[in-house]
Amino acid sequence: MKRLRIVISSLLITVLAVLCFAPTAWAFCGFYVAKADSKLYNQASQVIMARDGDRTVLTMANDFKGEVKDFAMVVPVPTVIKKEQVRVAPPKIVERLDAFSAPRLVEYFDSDPCTEYDRVLNEALPAPAARARAGAARGSASELGVTVEARFNVGEYDIVILSAKESGGLETWLNRNGYKIPRGAKQLLQPYVRSGMKFFVAKVNLDKFEESGYQFLRPLQISYQSRKFMLPIRLGMINANAAQDLIVYVLSPKGQAEITNYRTVKVPSDANIPVFVKNEFSDFYKSMFQTSYLKEDRKVAFLEYAWDMSSCDPCSAEPLNPEELKQAGVFWLDNNSSNDEPFPSGFRRPPIVSSSVFITRLHIRYTRDRFPEDPIFQATSNQESFQGRYILQHPFTGELKCQAGREYKRSLPKRFEQEAQTLAKLTNWNIQDIRRKMKLTVGDLNSSWWGNFFSWLVGM
Amino acid sequence: MLLKDIRDYQILFLGSFLVLGIGTRDWTLHPELIGVVIASCLSTQWILSKLNSQEPEQKLNLRSALITSLGLSLLLRADHWTTMMLAGVSAIASKFCFKVGDKHFFNPGNFGIITALTLTSDAWVSPGQWGEEWWYGLLFAGTGGLILQRIGRWDTTAAFLGSYSLLEAIRNLWLGWTWDVYWHRLMSGSLLLFALFMVTDPRSIPNAKIGRIVWAICIASLTFILRNNFFISTAVFWSLFALAPLTIVIDWLWSSPRFAWFENIRTQEN
Repeated sequence: MKRLRIVISSLLITVLAVLCFAPTAWAFCGFYVAKADSKLYNQASQVIMARDGDRTVLTMANDFKGEVKDFAMVVPVPTVIKKEQVRVAPPKIVERLDAFSAPRLVEYFDSDPCTEYDRVLNEALPAPAARARAGAARGSASELGVTVEARFNVGEYDIVILSAKESGGLETWLNRNGYKIPRGAKQLLQPYVRSGMKFFVAKVNLDKFEESGYQFLRPLQISYQSRKFMLPIRLGMINANAAQDLIVYVLSPKGQAEITNYRTVKVPSDANIPVFVKNEFSDFYKSMFQTSYLKEDRKVAFLEYAWDMSSCDPCSAEPLNPEELKQAGVFWLDNNSSNDEPFPSGFRRPPIVSSSVFITRLHIRYTRDRFPEDPIFQATSNQESFQGRYILQHPFTGELKCQAGREYKRSLPKRFEQEAQTLAKLTNWNIQDIRRKMKLTVGDLNSSWWGNFFSWLVGM
Repeated sequence: MLLKDIRDYQILFLGSFLVLGIGTRDWTLHPELIGVVIASCLSTQWILSKLNSQEPEQKLNLRSALITSLGLSLLLRADHWTTMMLAGVSAIASKFCFKVGDKHFFNPGNFGIITALTLTSDAWVSPGQWGEEWWYGLLFAGTGGLILQRIGRWDTTAAFLGSYSLLEAIRNLWLGWTWDVYWHRLMSGSLLLFALFMVTDPRSIPNAKIGRIVWAICIASLTFILRNNFFISTAVFWSLFALAPLTIVIDWLWSSPRFAWFENIRTQEN
């Protein structure tokens, strides 16, 4: 009897659990008004990693600020890269992904509490197609234990692929060939040399750069096949004296990507904040990110966005079309997709099923002491959507004559105070300053006598 | 009586890690999936021990099933409840299907994880989500150590962690990474969880001490190879799964009385 009870109760728990918690469809709605894109940060490298199985297309957008002639980049890569595996990507593509996935501010307007109605907005949209590239190669010449596996130029870049037997030789080779290698590089190059990685070395061919007419250096895109799914960020820390920002867009046919050797934490999201933030959203986001970064002890990666790329809600930028996804490195989609027709402009569009490109935007702020090891990634099948999203809820400003309206009015000061506290907690800003600023905004919104009274209340 | 059985402590510790995880690690832990796993483990255990009347300790075995389900909840992630149910059912069923004599050789939790990873498309393990804070390490080591000392299986953990960290140290030295990289690699919460709560399951690992040590070193070596040469982030689970049948050979080589919860309690009470 007792046993029967156990079985019945455990079965009951299963049924209840499934019934109560079965995943509910959750749609974000609202109007997109502002975004916190990568332009906020002075030094933000951006990397797109499109990966399916062991094939990767890596796009590196450098944030190089100096003279173009001084530009040189040394990236450890898992395999030898041939000319066919390298191309120059249009700079716009990184901006497009950035805009699409940036943390966003949405605003809602309270409806007249005397005539209650609901408003729901839904957006969704189609996407993409592409093709695959991969391979490996072997080259020629050697000196100092360094083998030049390949030498070619792509667009405005002169590229050399090196393999080395020891890091001292590699450093000497790079110095002799006119690459300015920072002090201390030898020690950092060694682990990559020893683990059999090759070196992708690029500098700018000035003649070609001038011919091309481009103002800035365009992103380099390489494709390769390797089980390694990591980013060698250690080299980039040599001459950095402050924390660096890295934004990684992982495009996967499966689902959310995460880091396997550091924690991946969601940025705070879905918070209701005072409406004045509309005018200082970038300051808000920067402060909030920094506050979370310190709170997590500076050693986590932040998830800023995770979404199936066939839709967005609300969209902070047009979703990428198949051509753009291809430019971003997505190679696994069928080219004959029927979704190829151009989209009409505007944010509202008909929902079209599945594109199997899932984007994960990870924001890593790293320093030498907290990120000793290069981050290793994995794509999981986690289909959960997430966005860094902050909500402005404008109070209703019309005339209120009914009982519900009076109750609504009474509820406002409490709501404003709650928003002020949320903002203070997220950004570590001074609560008094926030209240002061809110008073102004609320005062502007409400010209009626009670509106002024509220703002006075809130300011207290 | 509560806390009389050693496994009650284990249940308590694993349960509190789960609460700690949901509370402080903000993972994608879903309470409903944890409920599903617990229920499927318990009911499978009950049904199969009912069918298999030779099983004498069905009442106590619900504890083992609960431990398995807590372990699964801590380590496995999935999108759908069916996947978690599959993991729970296969974990417990493996105890009844894969056995030599009356000893099962797959760790049930590990078997459930591998089943979900191979047979479904929506299961994954998040090795990074425990972070590497030192106090988590201490917490695991302290509480785990307590349990292991009581059941007398600390040798397995020591052999596993010792040989694994030695291999990683040699690699680190050879590659020329600084030692913070080494510590970062070792201070993974998931690795400690595995070493303290999975590799030590006294019922499925070799009986003789020397056998356990050899077995643990084999698992550590395979984990090291899978992680560093094949870049598999879930290397520990695959390694334990692949080497679990080795228990039979080792038990044949070094015979020793089988572990039983009852005897252990009795000897401790004496």
